[in-house]
Amino acid sequence: MLRIPIAERARWIEKADEFGFKFHTMHGQKYWDESAYYQFTLKQIEDDLESPTEEIHQMCLSVVEKVVNDEDLLRRFCLPSRQWDFIRQSWLNGDPSLYSRLDFAYDGKGHAKLYENNADTPTSVYETGFWQWLWLQDNVDDGALSRQSDQFNSLQEKLVNRFKDIQFLTPDRTLHFSCCKDSPEDRGTVQYLEDCAKAAGISTAFVFIEDIGRDSIGNFTDLSDQVISWMFKLYPWEFMFDEEYSSCLGVNNIRWIEPPWKSILSNKALLPLLWKMFPGHPNLLPAFYEDELSLAGDMSSLVKKPIFSREGANISFLDESSSIKPTPGPYGEEGYIYQAVHMLPKFEDNYTLIGSWLVDDRAAGISIREDINPITQDMSRYLPHIIL
Amino acid sequence: MKRSKRIDLDLMRKVGSSVPTTPTLKPLAIAIAALLLTACGGKEEVKIVQSVDDCQNKTELTFEQCEAAYVKALAEAERTGPKYRSLSECETDFGTRQCRQSNQGGMFMPFMAGFMVSNLLSGRGGYGYNPVYHYQNSRSSYSNRLMTSDGAILGRPGRSSYNVSKSTLKPKPSVTRTVSRGGFGSKASAKSSWGGGKNSSGWGG
Repeated sequence: MLRIPIAERARWIEKADEFGFKFHTMHGQKYWDESAYYQFTLKQIEDDLESPTEEIHQMCLSVVEKVVNDEDLLRRFCLPSRQWDFIRQSWLNGDPSLYSRLDFAYDGKGHAKLYENNADTPTSVYETGFWQWLWLQDNVDDGALSRQSDQFNSLQEKLVNRFKDIQFLTPDRTLHFSCCKDSPEDRGTVQYLEDCAKAAGISTAFVFIEDIGRDSIGNFTDLSDQVISWMFKLYPWEFMFDEEYSSCLGVNNIRWIEPPWKSILSNKALLPLLWKMFPGHPNLLPAFYEDELSLAGDMSSLVKKPIFSREGANISFLDESSSIKPTPGPYGEEGYIYQAVHMLPKFEDNYTLIGSWLVDDRAAGISIREDINPITQDMSRYLPHIIL
Repeated sequence: MKRSKRIDLDLMRKVGSSVPTTPTLKPLAIAIAALLLTACGGKEEVKIVQSVDDCQNKTELTFEQCEAAYVKALAEAERTGPKYRSLSECETDFGTRQCRQSNQGGMFMPFMAGFMVSNLLSGRGGYGYNPVYHYQNSRSSYSNRLMTSDGAILGRPGRSSYNVSKSTLKPKPSVTRTVSRGGFGSKASAKSSWGGGKNSSGWGG
């Protein structure tokens, strides 16, 4: 695993406009960064990332199976009791999952270590599935990269195929896509997934989360008063469970992407339970619930993570010698979990995080985020990669 | 190869692609989409009948089949038909005394002008029973046309048969009366007002 500088493509910004990639620069800072790329060997990809990703996903599914059948655990996962049935039913029905992203610390040697599972609302899917694919294509065409270069990235192909599979279960329904207003990044992400669904032959519609309405018997509606019967939402389940319309969930006949059982996996309470069920697994870091911290023994360096949090918010290091500042954020009211410290590898001045994508239960590619701080956050830069 | 074999760049392009814009006219539920009929391929010949008797005369269906189709079409009309907040809005689009209050109450809908009978009827789980309405808004260039509940124009009334795209035969999405909006999104706005600085970051991760 190497970090190699490369010239940016001439006119890539015009190209981004052409393809509707609007959030390559955010808040005046570079988000898409093609001044360098990472290079992996095929063996690193297949042995250290692809197969652990699929294995961990299976381990996660066994966690779901355990949690839906155990009220103490549902409580530990801070899921409201009025939604337990909704979550459980979606699991028992086998409601299909579209995609997930596992975040790993990996430096090219040894075992990739799981940081967390973005199972409910993973983003950077456009940058991964399409934009970095195009970057490789362009650089090979220009002779800047070897013709033998490949990329671990079958994300778009797999997404389209997965949409075809899921449509089979919901024939003739329109798939409504939804995200919050005022976020070009989320809007772009959802547009991409809508394009993938259209490519699979699905009829689609869009409504903002804030514009969703309901009728007198609890159906959800879009702005044309059409009843929503199938919905992709880039909006966390734990928020929806806590909002006004939560009482309609499970009452109305909607198929959800991601399905409600994903709320068990996008939850940091997953991490201590994985460690309990698969102790010592080489891809896991020791993790503990707050009231079971004694299990950590003399482990002195721990990271404190909120049960619900996103984009690296509200993370703090407990190690007193550590000079790493806690990240700010609005999360933490539901409590925290503790995970053994395992620092991200450093390449030059950058801390590097690997996101490993799953479409259903198949590993589908990776994305790379870099930051000058050791905690990856929403503005961490995105870099492309190749296999050679 | 570990990457997608091929991506159709033309499909991914957002600028310079000529996405056809549908001429829309949106009272509450109808968006007229005459374009559907010019879409290529997948045409289907349908008859539009006005009653069970008409169905028996114009098609090869038996009385029982026609009656079943009529009942099905009525139920579809209630579920998917154009719905208006007021009688006058409905009558503007469909003509005087051509509207009624919906069974669910509170909304006004046009009477069904007839229903489609297609050759696909047999064994396709109800495809082809869609209700048809007679659109008569004198200010629209689509006045005096038959349409389905989602606004797809079939043509002028009175023809012995109509060629329609297959999608016209599919069941239409349900339309209902929205009684409130805004029941989702409050947590996001509460959390994004935190700190003040980054209110345009998203809720993915």
